[in-house]
Amino acid sequence: MTYIQRLNSQIKKTLAEHPDTVVFGQNVGTGSCLSGLTRGIEHETGVTVLNTPNAENTLVGVGFGMMMGGVNSIYFMKQIDFLLLGLDHLVNTYNFVRLKNPEASFTIVPVIVDNGYQGLQSSFNSFGDICSIARIDGFTVTNGYDIDKIIGQKLVAPGFRIIAPSQRLFGSELYDPESVTGHGPDYEWFHYQSGNDVLVICFNYTLPQGLSLVETMESKGLSASLAGVNRQTPAGWGALIDEARRVRKVIILDDTKSVNRLSNDFLASLYVVDNNVSVLNIGRDFNTDWLKPQKDELEIDADAILKYIGTVFTEKYL
Amino acid sequence: MKSKINGKNGEKLLFKLLRLRIGQQIINERYKKGDFKPPIHLAFGHEAVALAVSEAMTANDQLILSHRNIHYNLARSSSLKKEIDEYLLSPDGLGGGQLGSMNLACAEHGVPYTSSILGNNLPVSAGFALAQNQKKQDGVLFVVTGDGAMEEGSFYESIVFMKTFKLPVVIVVEDNGWSLATRIPERRSNIDVAGMATALGATSCSVAGNDIHACVELFAVAREEARKTVGPVVVTTSVTTFGYWTMVNDDHPKGKFINYHAGPAKTISIDDGPIIEKNDEDPLYRLECEIGTTHFAGVSERVRTALEEELS
Repeated sequence: MTYIQRLNSQIKKTLAEHPDTVVFGQNVGTGSCLSGLTRGIEHETGVTVLNTPNAENTLVGVGFGMMMGGVNSIYFMKQIDFLLLGLDHLVNTYNFVRLKNPEASFTIVPVIVDNGYQGLQSSFNSFGDICSIARIDGFTVTNGYDIDKIIGQKLVAPGFRIIAPSQRLFGSELYDPESVTGHGPDYEWFHYQSGNDVLVICFNYTLPQGLSLVETMESKGLSASLAGVNRQTPAGWGALIDEARRVRKVIILDDTKSVNRLSNDFLASLYVVDNNVSVLNIGRDFNTDWLKPQKDELEIDADAILKYIGTVFTEKYL
Repeated sequence: MKSKINGKNGEKLLFKLLRLRIGQQIINERYKKGDFKPPIHLAFGHEAVALAVSEAMTANDQLILSHRNIHYNLARSSSLKKEIDEYLLSPDGLGGGQLGSMNLACAEHGVPYTSSILGNNLPVSAGFALAQNQKKQDGVLFVVTGDGAMEEGSFYESIVFMKTFKLPVVIVVEDNGWSLATRIPERRSNIDVAGMATALGATSCSVAGNDIHACVELFAVAREEARKTVGPVVVTTSVTTFGYWTMVNDDHPKGKFINYHAGPAKTISIDDGPIIEKNDEDPLYRLECEIGTTHFAGVSERVRTALEEELS
């Protein structure tokens, strides 16, 4: 099963439990239904589906209006770049909404267009910045386990949040663990496996790179611990910090294009309690290649990382 | 001129209109003394429109407001004290002391949302209307905007959305000709609102905002039109915002006209009585001319006494 098939399946399963929901957005019930993301929703779940005009600012406001009017809704959006047109509502309308604390649900599901070659526009991969401007609950979904938990429990629930899938992963074979070692209390992060030599923490959409790195490490006889962070604003890091302190060696993968990396918040929180944990922090710095059609993916040099582990980490701790 | 203010309903209308004017004057006097911290956008001259909208609303209708909302909130609530308490940020205020002025709303009085951001409230009103449709509730949404806010893209987007999904919404455009200190010809080309509405399949009409009788009649019709056609109705009302003043300095030795936007209206005093301008632009002056000075003065006195008693 592919990532997009699982997403679509879980969305339909969740909506079938909430048939009073209004699903709206451009192309949600026509054409390819956002590359299959919303396919079958209209006829298989009983919800109301509205194919809307191209008016993102208005559509975000409409969702908040419905929420205050007591109706659950989900706004599916083809790409998160379009959400920039709705920032007024994400800040100003949401501030009013959360003061009144309505019981209805409003969720925006924008696709992160991180599959590359889009050019200098349509490649906005700074989901965390959108969440940060008004401290909005935002979650990535990267695999079968977090899709089940996050879509299953947050897609329709009192309050407002943004859940963003990755277009790069749409056609990929699903990573689908049956269980995890642990997770944050609100699914801020998931701990997929425990290990003793190094902890790999994957922020934003880097879980596939993290999985590949862990596989390479294990082939070299290293025991790796693996976690993925789904939340886009600072969370209670609790058990993740404990795991970092236990393993003593941490590799951070973070593919956001923002200068405001959530991984830096994790590291700051870690250093407050323990500044002797060794960290390799892999992220992205701005370069003009971003302004050209290109492969838009954080590339991991596993050999270089293994070499690093074999020198710096080993000298200090092994 | 034959008076239309006759009978019990006419007297009530007169009383309510004077209440909006004198209520604002009482607030203005305290504002001038520095009693309030939130920035208040007074609406002297806009009272007839607010009263007519409120009178047109029925039990299931809702009203979505903008930053200049004092006249509507006073019309919808029955308490000047609660309005003042809100400006004092007291828990006894209309919004529980949590909303201040520019976001003042009170769902209990049919005002569930108010935005201080130009154009923001139009999409939100569409959402409220859609929620009513979804819940199969009968009701019309009224949303207030202005000649400045209608320049925002959300005005166009929202009308398209409302028309597409058959939402009964009355869009009230309070056109005072100004956006902050800039007149319409100083900032944009003319917008043919009726032509624009027609092009989008919406209904449009206009009314003089200084004529309480015309306003009451037209907003009742507009509400019915929105309900019947199940679509947006755009009502443009021309109003004059009183409180303007003349700035004299070295650059402008002969004085420069400054439009009132927000803050205390220093040129308006409650001691001068409820009429601000003795010309046709003032809806209260029009009424005085209609019913006679003595009758008008008598009702004014009763309204002021009632409001002062409420506050005491």
